[in-house]
Formats: sequence, structure tokens, C-alpha cells
Amino acid sequence: MLLDYDRLGGWRWGLVAIGSAVMLFLLLPIVFIAALSFGDSQWLVFPPPGWTTQWYQQLLTDPVWVNALLTSAKVAVMVTLLSVVLGLLAALGLARSRFFGKSALQAFFLTPMVLPVVVLAVALYAFFLKLGLTGTLTGFVIGHLIIALPFSIITIGNSLQSFDSALEDAAMICGAGPLEVKWRVTLPAIRLGLFAAAIFSFLISWDEVVLSIFMASPTLQTLPVLIWSTLRQDLTPVIASASTLLVAFTVLLMLLASFLKKGSRQ
Amino acid sequence: MPTALSSVAVPARRRFRLSAETRGIKLMLPVLLLLVLCFLVPVITLLLRSVMEPTPGWQNYAELLGSQTYVRVFFNTFMVAGVVTLITLLVGFPTAWLLAILPQRWSRLMFAVLLLSMWTNLLARTYAWMVLLQQTGLINRVLMALGVIDQPLALVNNLVGVTIGMTYIMLPFLVLPLHATLRAIDPSTLRAAAVCGASRWQSLRLVLLPLALPGIASGALMVFVMSLGYYVTPALLGGTSYMMLAELIAQLVQSLLNWGLAGAAAFVLLVVTLGLYAVQLRYLGAGRSEMGGR
Repeated sequence: MLLDYDRLGGWRWGLVAIGSAVMLFLLLPIVFIAALSFGDSQWLVFPPPGWTTQWYQQLLTDPVWVNALLTSAKVAVMVTLLSVVLGLLAALGLARSRFFGKSALQAFFLTPMVLPVVVLAVALYAFFLKLGLTGTLTGFVIGHLIIALPFSIITIGNSLQSFDSALEDAAMICGAGPLEVKWRVTLPAIRLGLFAAAIFSFLISWDEVVLSIFMASPTLQTLPVLIWSTLRQDLTPVIASASTLLVAFTVLLMLLASFLKKGSRQ
Repeated sequence: MPTALSSVAVPARRRFRLSAETRGIKLMLPVLLLLVLCFLVPVITLLLRSVMEPTPGWQNYAELLGSQTYVRVFFNTFMVAGVVTLITLLVGFPTAWLLAILPQRWSRLMFAVLLLSMWTNLLARTYAWMVLLQQTGLINRVLMALGVIDQPLALVNNLVGVTIGMTYIMLPFLVLPLHATLRAIDPSTLRAAAVCGASRWQSLRLVLLPLALPGIASGALMVFVMSLGYYVTPALLGGTSYMMLAELIAQLVQSLLNWGLAGAAAFVLLVVTLGLYAVQLRYLGAGRSEMGGR
């Protein structure tokens, strides 16, 4: 009875009340920040006395913010490409081989996901200081790639698991070469996994704060780093508009992901 | 003839398999190389520095566990992680339960909200709470307008702020896996309990909770572990007056350049984190985590 929505009786309203409150709690900051970014109060009075787009204008005309935005985009695109390619290779390797210690290797591949990011950030910072890689695009890309890869490997690995490798054998028997098989049979079959891995990787890089704080230099920083350093000084509404842009972008990617998912069901 | 054919075919197939096995290993090399070079080596180097700097020995660990300031940081960290886990569990269980039994069009809506909140930039969410919770923020003004309080409450730079911010972040990480556990329970077991005369409370206590216990335990453990290592939200909402372990590590490196002590603190955090994950894997099955602490 407790798991039948229609037969819960009075308890149903208790659950609905708690659930609705939680949903409001989850939505409140997101809606609030979007509203705040259009309010004309420098002191973040809410509800604002009037509406304006001046914070967006400030954001998009200030070269510091624009550069940070471009750096974020550059890093995220590179991380996405590398993460999908390397993740695909690793996932294929894991799916198609059997050897002693394979599960240990698999666990090692996924450790960056469970390790506290601050430990990785500090360790990588020390390492890159020696190599002169702090404050470079390469530094950002390597850092983000390490935490994006586990997600790629898992997502692509899952789609490989549901892919029947007998199809590869069949193509091989029909005379296709090994590369042709990969290109024309395997990749199309797991393309949704690849898209999902790409979206995950992009979002992870796009949103990464902790690693980026340690990789950044005054002349090269990503959008989250700039938000972070501005935030430690004051709560200016420009941050609200930058945050809203980040949220809008995330929503777009999520919609894209859900369309892909729907497409795969049909 | 068939026997002759198969005796030829078997070795050929075996050779094909063997070559596939080694090729698989080659495919993994780039990732393996990257992770060994830019992940394993730096992390181990950092940990080694804790026993090598400034002089070889255990003095960093002695300082970490002997100083009142640092013990306070450990206490704060476990306190926040514990309180956040408890609240997330109390609020998250009914939410996951509702999500598991709602008709599909409503549960889809709830899913969308949970995912949106989870994937919204961490800084954007934390910034929103900083503004909402400040002295002149919306929460204080609404409470004052309603006559609940006369003076604005101190909601940031303390345990309250960190707890609200962290609970916000952790809720989806508990609700989503727990909902899957609850979905997997056969509703007819609860119908059977009702038919046998169990009251709702009895069904909850004797049937639903025990069946959901693996999901509850692994979800709670995950929230606890992730909270231990969080940096951004505690640093911004807790301020310097309420420091947690991750922030201490960052400060030791950035402001004090004390790499030895930072390495020791990182080692403690690492051991606790990986130890708890090992417990989860060993005893609670594959409750796979979604993300490391931010």
C-alpha cells in the first residue's frame, strides 16, 4: 500500500507537501539568480525597484569577462574532444580484453571521480609548477581531462555493453577490414553513448572550479575562476548575470541530451 | 569432415582472441599513461612531501593532530558532513519515495528539477545562497516581515550557512539513487503487509525501511564522503571562521606555502574518503558515486 500512489490515503498529502517543498527549495536559487541578474539594484535588493540589462552589457563589454568566457569555451571544447577519443579507446580496451588485474585497472581509471578534487588540484598544482604548466591552456585541459575521463569511460562503456559484438564479427565475415568495422558498425551503434560522454565532459570542464582556481594565472582564467575571485570581494550583480549565462547554457545542453535520449527510444 | 574442420578452426579462433586481448591493452595505453603521469605521480609526490618536508619524519602529522586549530578543523569537517547527511536523509527519503510512486508526468517534472539543480554551476548556486542568506537578504527580510524574528539572523559565515548550501547540493545525489532502490521494491510486498493487518507505521518500519536500507545506507555514506572533501561551498558560505579540511589544504598551499602540512592533511582526507568508499563497495554493492567532492 505504501508504494501505491492511489492508495496512500492521508500519507499521500504528507509526501506531496514535503516533495513540493523540496522542489521549491531546489528551484529557489536558480530562479532567484536569473531574476536578480535583470534587477537594477546594485545592492541586490529583492524584489528589485526596476529592471535592466546593464549587468549583461557590463559583462559582455568587459574584456576580462569576455576573455574568461572564451578561455572556458576553448578549454571545454578541447577537453570534450580528448575525453571522448581517449574515453572511447579505454572503454573499447576494457570491453574487448581479458587479462589479470583488469578490474583493478578499471578501478584505477575511475579513481579521479571519487578522489576529493582539492587533493588532485593541489597535487597537480605542485607538479605543474615544476613543469611551468600553471597558467597555460595545457594545464587547464589536462586537469579537466583527468576528472572528465571517468565519466566518458563509464558512459561509453555502458553503451558498448549493450552493443552486440557479434555484429562486428558479421561485418568482418562479410569482408570489412578492422578499421572499416569500427568506423561503420561500432561507432554508429554507440553514437548516443559518445554524445552523452561529450555532453558530460563539456559540462564538467565548463563548471569546474577547484582545479581551475589552482591552474589559473592573473592573465589566463576561466569563467568560474573569475566568478570565484570576484565573489570573494563583493557580490556584484554582474556575477548574477554571468551565473545566469552558465545556467542557460547548462539547460540548453540538458535539453539537447533529452532530445537525443528521446530519439534513441523511437 | 566436420571434425577435421573444427580441429583447424579452433586454433585459428584462439589466435584471433589472443590478438584481440593484447590489442585491447594497447587501446588503453594513452589513458593509462595520462593517469599515471598526471594523476598518480603528482598525488603520491604530494603525500610523500608530508613525511619529507621540512625534514624527514612524522612531525607534520604530529602538528596536525596536536594543534587545537587543526583539530577544530577536523571537528568542523565531520560535524558539517554528519549534519548535512542527516538532514539530506530526513528530507531526501520522503522525496525519493514520492518520486518513486508518482504518476509519470509528475515524476518527469520532479526529475527535471533535480537534474537542473544538480547540473547548475556550483558557484552560481553558492552565490545565490550567499545573496539569499546575507543580513539584508531575502530570507531574513521575509522572516522579519512575517514577524518570526525581530533581528536579522546570522545565516552565513557559520554552520547554518554551510549546512543549507551543502544540503542543497547533496539532495539530488541522495534522492536519485534512493528513488531507484525504492522503484525496485515490489509494491505487492507492502500490499501483503496491509492485507496481513499491518498498520501504515508498521508497514513502514517493518517492511519498507528494511527493504530500502541498502539504498539508504549507500546514499548516506556517499553524501557523507562527498561532504568531507567539499571546498567551494564551505569556503564561501562558512567563511574563515568556520573552516573545513579542504579549505585548510588549499590555504596551506596558497597562503602559507606549507606543503608538508598540506600533504599530511591531504593524506588524512584521502584515507578517510577512499576507506569509506571501500566500505561502500564491499558491503553495500555497486552504489556508484556520481561525482567527487567539489
